[in-house]
Amino acid sequence: MNCEKTREQFADHLTGELDEKSLADVRAHLASCSSCREELESLSAIWTKLGVLPPEQPGPALRQRFYTMLEAFKEGIEEEKEKASIGERVSAWLGQLVPRRPVYQLALSLLFLAIGLGGGFLLTERARTAAKIEVAALKQEVKDMRQTAVMSLLQQKSPSDRLMAVNWSTQLEQPDDKIIATLLDTLNNDSNANVRIAAAEALYLFYDHPRVKDELIDSLSVQTSPLVQLTLIDLLVEIRERRAVEALRTLIQNKKLNPQVKKRAELGLAQLS
Amino acid sequence: MSAKKTASEKELRVDQSTDNRLMEEVRDGRVEKLAILFERHQVMLYNFFLRLTGNRSASEDLVQEVFVRILKYRKTYHGQSKFAVWMYQVARNVHIDHLRKQKPEVPLDEQFTEVPSPETLPVEKMDAEIDVALLRRALDQLPLKKKEILLLSRFQEMKYKDIAELFGCNIGSVKSSVHRAIKDLGKIYCQLQGGLTP
Repeated sequence: MNCEKTREQFADHLTGELDEKSLADVRAHLASCSSCREELESLSAIWTKLGVLPPEQPGPALRQRFYTMLEAFKEGIEEEKEKASIGERVSAWLGQLVPRRPVYQLALSLLFLAIGLGGGFLLTERARTAAKIEVAALKQEVKDMRQTAVMSLLQQKSPSDRLMAVNWSTQLEQPDDKIIATLLDTLNNDSNANVRIAAAEALYLFYDHPRVKDELIDSLSVQTSPLVQLTLIDLLVEIRERRAVEALRTLIQNKKLNPQVKKRAELGLAQLS
Repeated sequence: MSAKKTASEKELRVDQSTDNRLMEEVRDGRVEKLAILFERHQVMLYNFFLRLTGNRSASEDLVQEVFVRILKYRKTYHGQSKFAVWMYQVARNVHIDHLRKQKPEVPLDEQFTEVPSPETLPVEKMDAEIDVALLRRALDQLPLKKKEILLLSRFQEMKYKDIAELFGCNIGSVKSSVHRAIKDLGKIYCQLQGGLTP
């Protein structure tokens, strides 16, 4: 057996699946070939070493979730079966209306097809223009509604309402100046750090808006919560905003700064400059 | 909880070859039989995902998702291949979808928390902990396919011919993948080890 043939057997050797004949052949080759011997030794060492990765037990919640899912699924199937039996009766009744001979079936389907195509052609043109106007109007309406909802939710007392508002704002394709201004106000003045973080992340999506980048940089000096500071630094580094360098330097000089934020700011500084 | 019946011990002890028959029963409408398959495979699957993702709670979610999909696509099971091959096919898809959705957050090896504090550990145990961490990190550096093949053959009790069927390739290329994966893993592990020792 040559080296190549021998090495082809190594995978089976590791799992102990070589038959006696092949095992004897491999051993005979190894006795005379030190390089194959070393190769198998190092493979076996790693293969065995992998045994130190301990198997773990999943938490009990997994089992509970599975059985809940299974029960729900079974109930769903029962309901479906009931619905299906009504459906079967209806389709059996419809089936009686269809002619039995394939030729007639074909003729009937061609007739329906012709009616469908003809009717469709007549209706489409008119419908298409009307639909276009309607869709555009609807889109505008939805956009307006979202903007109004965002603005009014941001005034709410509950932080979770304000969080929802910020999240909604991210779905606006082109938010107007008023929304941007409100988000910026939220970023700098909201009493809840989570809402401020969400506002920073929402603003990041609109960073090509002329005011946003500058305001994000300025906000760095206003924020006191380390989490908000970290988020802002991440965002500024992400958009590669070189103008943030000065703001980061000032931040680092602040003696009261949280050490982790300082570390991140220094890293950010290195990434930007 | 009263409606929940875990699969009985006796059913669990039945030979693994009955997996296919059970899955056929599930396919034909006796979905409660999935409980036996769940009890037989949940721990193995969980560890498969845990070694792939390094994240415990994500791994539990992924196991759950595998069984949800098995139910959803039960009609597509055609008994020609082993149940395990089919299940790992579902598992691989679930994992790939998970990777697509996942945002890179904490590096995987850092998610294996609970590294015990050095004072409470004897030296040998500390060495073992470092070894485990290094191996996990080395595994994470293998390309996904190699890592999957290696895990399946080393930990998931999958024969090479089953893995070949799972990946739609021939058995020879699975064997050479295993060979190369271990060799690469060994190299990465050595490099990492070199990085640690002064």
